[in-house]
Amino acid sequence: MAELITGYNIEYEETKESHDESNAQYLTFLIAGETFAVGILDVNEIIEVSEMTDVPMMPEFIRGVINLRGAVVPVIDLAARMERGRSELDKRSCIVLVETPLSDNQYQVVGMLVDSVNEIVEISQDHIQPAPAMGDGIDTRFIKAMGRVDELFFVLLDIENILSNEQITNLEQLKRMHQSSATTL
Amino acid sequence: MVDDMKLTFLQESEELLQQMEDALLAMEEAPDDEEHLNSVFRAMHTIKGAAGIFGYDFIVSFTHPVETVMDQVRSGNRSVDSDLVALLLECKDHTANLVQTVASDNEDNVPAELLENGCEILARLTGEGSENNSVKGATPSVAGASSPIEAEPQKATPNDNWVIALDFKQDALRNGLDPLSFIRYLQRLGEIVNIITFTHDMPAANEMDPETCYLSFRIALHSDSNKDEIESVFEFAVDDCDIRILPPHSKQITYLELLEDVEPESVQRLGDILVGIGAVTQQELEGALNEQEAIIDEAVANPEQKVKPLGEILVERNVVAKPVVEKALKKQEDNREKASRDAQYIRVDANRLGQLINLVGELVISNAAVKLMVDKYEIQEAQEVVAGVDNLVEDIRDHALQLRMVQIGDTFSRFRRVVRDVSKELNKDIKLVITGGEAELDKTVVEKINDPLTHLVRNSLDHGIESPEERLAKGKPAQGVLRLNALHDSGHIVIQIADDGAGLNVEKIRAKAEAIGLVKPDQVLSHRETLRLIFEPGLSTKTQASNLSGRGVGMDVVRRNIDALRGTVEVDSSVDKGTVVTIHLPLTLAIIDGFMVGVSGERYVIPLSMVEECVEIDNHQLDEQRSYVNLRGDVMPFLRLREFFDVPDDEVGDHSDRRESLVVVRFGRTKAGLVVDQLFGELQTVIKPLGKLFQGLKGISGATVLGSGDIALILDVQGVIGLASQRGGHKQGLVDHA
Amino acid sequence: MSIDVENNNGVCRVVVKDEMTIYTAAAMKTDLMDQLTRCDELEISLQDVSEMDSAGLQLMLLLKSEEQKLKKELRFVKHSQAVIDVLEILDLVAHFGDPIVLPAGEAQ
Repeated sequence: MAELITGYNIEYEETKESHDESNAQYLTFLIAGETFAVGILDVNEIIEVSEMTDVPMMPEFIRGVINLRGAVVPVIDLAARMERGRSELDKRSCIVLVETPLSDNQYQVVGMLVDSVNEIVEISQDHIQPAPAMGDGIDTRFIKAMGRVDELFFVLLDIENILSNEQITNLEQLKRMHQSSATTL
Repeated sequence: MVDDMKLTFLQESEELLQQMEDALLAMEEAPDDEEHLNSVFRAMHTIKGAAGIFGYDFIVSFTHPVETVMDQVRSGNRSVDSDLVALLLECKDHTANLVQTVASDNEDNVPAELLENGCEILARLTGEGSENNSVKGATPSVAGASSPIEAEPQKATPNDNWVIALDFKQDALRNGLDPLSFIRYLQRLGEIVNIITFTHDMPAANEMDPETCYLSFRIALHSDSNKDEIESVFEFAVDDCDIRILPPHSKQITYLELLEDVEPESVQRLGDILVGIGAVTQQELEGALNEQEAIIDEAVANPEQKVKPLGEILVERNVVAKPVVEKALKKQEDNREKASRDAQYIRVDANRLGQLINLVGELVISNAAVKLMVDKYEIQEAQEVVAGVDNLVEDIRDHALQLRMVQIGDTFSRFRRVVRDVSKELNKDIKLVITGGEAELDKTVVEKINDPLTHLVRNSLDHGIESPEERLAKGKPAQGVLRLNALHDSGHIVIQIADDGAGLNVEKIRAKAEAIGLVKPDQVLSHRETLRLIFEPGLSTKTQASNLSGRGVGMDVVRRNIDALRGTVEVDSSVDKGTVVTIHLPLTLAIIDGFMVGVSGERYVIPLSMVEECVEIDNHQLDEQRSYVNLRGDVMPFLRLREFFDVPDDEVGDHSDRRESLVVVRFGRTKAGLVVDQLFGELQTVIKPLGKLFQGLKGISGATVLGSGDIALILDVQGVIGLASQRGGHKQGLVDHA
Repeated sequence: MSIDVENNNGVCRVVVKDEMTIYTAAAMKTDLMDQLTRCDELEISLQDVSEMDSAGLQLMLLLKSEEQKLKKELRFVKHSQAVIDVLEILDLVAHFGDPIVLPAGEAQ
């Protein structure tokens, strides 16, 4: 759509370049008593836990689907995903909505169920360390890096890997095989 | 055959037969008059020749033996008596009868008794002097070297010859043309099967000008050349000769086929269409156009004069057969209609249409919410209004979806070319038969079905239908048939790809499946189950991949594509009889009528089109052991959704007296019962995709948002049935029960 | 004169001494028609016809049809190769009904 031309467009280039690369903001949240974080730019919104519809024959970490303003959005239980057990819902439980890349440049909105959301922190690039070779019981593929604010360390989650279709499909197949062998008896 | 030329044949024959009769009657008086003998011979000979040119085999086969007998008489090897004259008169009458069938347009359907009659006459004619006959037939007459030179008749199929009419104008010779040279040159293009020379207009001797040309020719040419090439032979004669070239019968069929393929993109002029397919040469078209122009000029001066359409002129000028013109006109009309229909269309961005349908979906949901509110607060005054809005919403939904509906015919038609090209490439003779092209389905579905369909069609062409030799050896017609069919069935569109080819080899499939570990050697599989294996990855019955269908994509990809559309694919095949692939697809991926049921706290929607009936049942009506339910004597398998989906029970305690409901669903011929806790009834269901995360999830085809804002999952009935049969051997009957 | 004429008891034997083409047709027509009207039986020998075109052929056809009209007897004999070629290509051998003697070597 054409716009009314109001100036000479000279300042346009300059205003674009104000983003600071060295400091990035992260959203921190609690899962099973531990603090995790994701880049704030990945987060679409945070909503309260509403009615979730269970989807049968799916692995445990898929808690179900919710109605997000008319769209059906799957919710992943992060605690269950990281094998910390199924998270119990309470007043502070939240769903963090993130966009995950799919193949061919498409995105899917996925909800992450967390026990509570803490705060938004700013971490300078100096305080980001690569993921350790050995995690403390967390699948290292889920760890993007380690972050530090003051003396507090926390895991920066690799959303892409957590929700990678490949892994979910694998798990789902396992679940199905388990199910079918159970019913065959 | 074009009427004008046919008329020439009829007139000529009539004249000759009259001469023959006169001569025969004269022979009774003077049996040895050579001139009369010649006259009879000439009549038979010329009629035979002309009939040969026009492809009237039945006349040729009768006149040829008569001609032979006359030749014997003429050369003194058979004497003339009154019996022979009587017999020859019978021959003349019979020939007249045969010619009459042509006059009454029955040449393709000659009465059998007439032909029998002819055989009988010939038997008497040749049988009488058989002794004499056989001697003469075997050794080329006593004088050896003096035997007449006779063009061997009917070397090629007469029906497959080009018919060329050359009527030279009077000045042709004076203008330096020698008609003979053209005919000599014509021989380079093919074999002149038959030729007749006419000198119709030659006046009596004293008026005859030896420098004027009186010659006309009718030529039957057997040639693979096309019309342009043949016409080019007479390039220098166009000004001094009327040239008419009629294609052989087989070419007519080719023209008709080519017309079928004329792209509907633009409305072409009739002449351009005909030149485009090669039925008419540019030269012929221009001639006809000139004639038409002259008529138009006349018409300007004289309003009474009727202006002839181009097609009529072309047919009159014998350049093209009437059926070809008619077909071309029809095609032109179709294209014009299509173009005018196109003109009434508005091109709409598919995305906008998609947005509209999404919004209609939201409207349906919001409307459901309003209804829920009105019911909840029992607002009587609003109820009527809500009902009105509800009807409107439903109409809007149907119309919005209809916007995206397209006929599958266009998709089918695209395969005409594929079939044509591929069968040529593979040296097969395959006919494509399309039925049900008017069946409609959502454009988004059509787009996605094209690839699987192409694959299946190519499979049939490549592996299914055999070569003509193989087919003949199996006692089948040389021409194979590939059928594409579509029909609507319970909210689905059914697409079938059927061939009458070799069929699938069940043993080979089984062996391959065992080899790659898909089935165990001791596993018992029904015929259908074995056939279904071809949709598994890694199974291709042909060891040698071809460049057509063996490009690494197998039937498993076909099934994956169809699965993604929430469709199903089935195959049926019988060795040497053929293969039928049947695809069921939902009509739309947007909004359906649904039927909602409840299991514990969860709600599920079953596509209404698949629901046969719902009944309340008691626990003891169900045979839990065998998973069969007896419904009014109709025994069918059932499954309990709660157990199947592992839904946690919301009630505690004894369930034995719990009231449950049975929803009878039908898919194709398969019926099954689903046991649920509650029936909620019908609702408009906006299908929301579950997203990539749930790709491959069987049994659930999508989700929908209810008026309350809750989400209900949509059951994939066939998937559920399929899963149930996979899971337990004792539930096998769920699928095979029909 | 392009033809040699030999008259013997009403039987004319004519030998055509020239090509039968558009160039000779006019003269030849007059000569041959004269002979046909003059005698009852005419034998035309064609062994010296080195060339024949459509005009020559027309002449043959004319004579043949006049033969019938005038109730005469006409025979073409000793066809030269040029004449045979024309009659063969047009499938007219049977039409004339005259025995044709093939030149030696082509009899097979």
